[in-house]
Amino acid sequence: MNIVYRTDAPALEAVNLTKRYDDDVLALDHVSFAIEPGQIYALLGGNGAGKTTAINLFLNFIEPTDGEARINGIVTHREPLKAKAHVAYVSENVMLYANFTAMQNLDFFARLGGQTSYTRSDYHDMLYRVGLAEEFHNKKLREFSKGMRQKCGIAIAMLKNAPAILLDEPTSGLDPKAGRDFIELLKSLKDENRAILMSTHDIFRAKEVADVVAIMNHGRLIMQKRASELAHQDLESLYMQYIGGHNNGEPSEGGTDAENAD
Amino acid sequence: MLKTLIEKEIRDIIGSTKFAITFAVCALLIIMAFYTGATRHKLYVTHHQASQAEQLRSMEGITDWFDVEGTRLFLPPRPLASLISGISNDIGRTADVTGRGSIPTDDSRYNEDPLFAVFRFIDLDFVFTVILSLFAILLGYDAISGEKERGTLKLSFANAVSRSTYLAGKLLGAFIALTMAILIPIAIGIFLFLLMGISMTEEEWVRLLLIILIGLMSFGVFLSLSICVSAMTHRSANSFLVLLVVWVLCVHIVPRASVLLAARSVEVPSLDEISYKRAALNQQLSREFRESLKEGQASFLYSSSTIDGNVLMTLVDSLSQERSRKATEFSARLEEERANRQGVQEKIAFSIARISPVTSFSLASAALAGTSLELKDRFIEQAHDYQEKFAAFYEEKTGMSLSGGLRIQMSADGDTVGEPEKPQSIDPTEMPQFAFTEPELTEIVQTTVMDFGLLAVFTMLFFAGAFVSFLRYDVR
Repeated sequence: MNIVYRTDAPALEAVNLTKRYDDDVLALDHVSFAIEPGQIYALLGGNGAGKTTAINLFLNFIEPTDGEARINGIVTHREPLKAKAHVAYVSENVMLYANFTAMQNLDFFARLGGQTSYTRSDYHDMLYRVGLAEEFHNKKLREFSKGMRQKCGIAIAMLKNAPAILLDEPTSGLDPKAGRDFIELLKSLKDENRAILMSTHDIFRAKEVADVVAIMNHGRLIMQKRASELAHQDLESLYMQYIGGHNNGEPSEGGTDAENAD
Repeated sequence: MLKTLIEKEIRDIIGSTKFAITFAVCALLIIMAFYTGATRHKLYVTHHQASQAEQLRSMEGITDWFDVEGTRLFLPPRPLASLISGISNDIGRTADVTGRGSIPTDDSRYNEDPLFAVFRFIDLDFVFTVILSLFAILLGYDAISGEKERGTLKLSFANAVSRSTYLAGKLLGAFIALTMAILIPIAIGIFLFLLMGISMTEEEWVRLLLIILIGLMSFGVFLSLSICVSAMTHRSANSFLVLLVVWVLCVHIVPRASVLLAARSVEVPSLDEISYKRAALNQQLSREFRESLKEGQASFLYSSSTIDGNVLMTLVDSLSQERSRKATEFSARLEEERANRQGVQEKIAFSIARISPVTSFSLASAALAGTSLELKDRFIEQAHDYQEKFAAFYEEKTGMSLSGGLRIQMSADGDTVGEPEKPQSIDPTEMPQFAFTEPELTEIVQTTVMDFGLLAVFTMLFFAGAFVSFLRYDVR
């Protein structure tokens, strides 16, 4: 149950990460960032901005055209199995085995993640922690709503006990209360010294919870600011300035470039 | 990791509705195959015993072996033949031994029950080749593409799982789950078989186990094929369509096409053609026989004033033996030529048909059950051996050969002293007994090694294909 940390490398790191698909679409264009343990990094951006592509590269679902994605210093496309042992993942639309109960799904994915010592009690505790009522713990997933599945997905990610967590639109489908609970959960994970990369459309929650907020557009990282820098700024306006007004990634006035947070 | 994946796969399959339906149909058909097999076998044993008793009864009252024109041989029913019918229902079960020469067989079961010739019996061959191969496809077509569609593939590969381990887990898990679904009804079927009083020798039990083993191997081929196709497609609907086409090709097209192709490559004279040639020769030989007999009689008439009966009988005997020898030789030559051509044709047909794993199963299981194409040849061969024994026995009893001849009975005139002796009935049990023997187990296993090997190679090839495809598979 111990989390493995390397002190000499960021938990998650993108170095000139570039992805050009076969149809010549440039999905990611020399993106670089680093996420230290205990840091939440929020990636904002419109549809097709490149947020999910970045996460897919960290998971080695696709290989980079150039650059590297690193987890705990391990280059994901060179040593994918070793790298993936150090990362947990929650997708936008969590899909689990419909024939299995929540407990069975947790058991399978925890074992797949290398955690074999959990007991039923641990699974119950985790499901309580993510806010899933006890009556659903032994129900089959086919009876679950999207929000309930999302909670199970988050529980699975937490059970992996990985030092880094990738969240792709994690609050999508959650009701306001569940969304609130999720933010609290993220804060507790941060307190456990985990590095979290979260792609989201939810500007307000990003500002509330993230240590660093970045904006992507057309595969480029066009803004990157620390939470302290954003404290007195209206993030929504800033976002609109970057995304709405300027497709080339330049802010209309007084904008900050992507290196600002470094 | 592999254990986790196998356990998950078993649990996932067993919990699915399609498995419940598959298991129910599978169990019903397998148990039905054993039940109907046992029922049929018991019926055939009764028929067989009745036929043998009837033959003995028909010889009651005969006082001279000379009046016995021949005997009828019966192919005994065997329990494995009721589970894997092979050609046992198509070939004649009786052979009339009347003299030298060819022995035609008659009374096939389908001749007796033409309705079954149309719809065929439900046996293990049908269950494995048609039903279980289809079920393997039904349960494997979405192994990879379905996981992708459901979104679970992505989450699984967010973990440190290698693709080969994942595939092995899929194949082994599905195979174990479905093997259980097959073995449970087979165990019930065997119990039913025993309960209905069907007894089998140790060797027959070993053969049955080998039939089940090769059935499971053939099932494994279709399962690995399904996973292979599933790993090549991203939509389970496409995977299912491709597999359905492959299934139709393997089960229905390839075996039939192989026969057509073999028939085109090697021409085998038909039985009618051979019969015609044989009849033509017989006519010619009969003509020659009559002419030779006339010449012989004429020379007697010229040389002596009285006809010596013994000399004439010797002449008739030698002429008929000569005629019979020529007919037998010609017939044997024609049959040998046909058999040789047929052998080549069969080899070509089987080689082509073995492209389909179904053929390997069918050929090996029929060989193990003793119902392969060799059954007919074996029955006829053993009938010929018996024919020789019977001819020797007949000759010993009558002093004449079975192939024909003329017996002249002469009675002396004059007074007889006392009552004439009442002739004794013959004892039919004195006749040599016909016992059909099956090839040794080692001999059969040798003939099936290739099919076992082919099925193993097919499984490995499809797994390798699945692995290569899956290496490049987009799991997102």
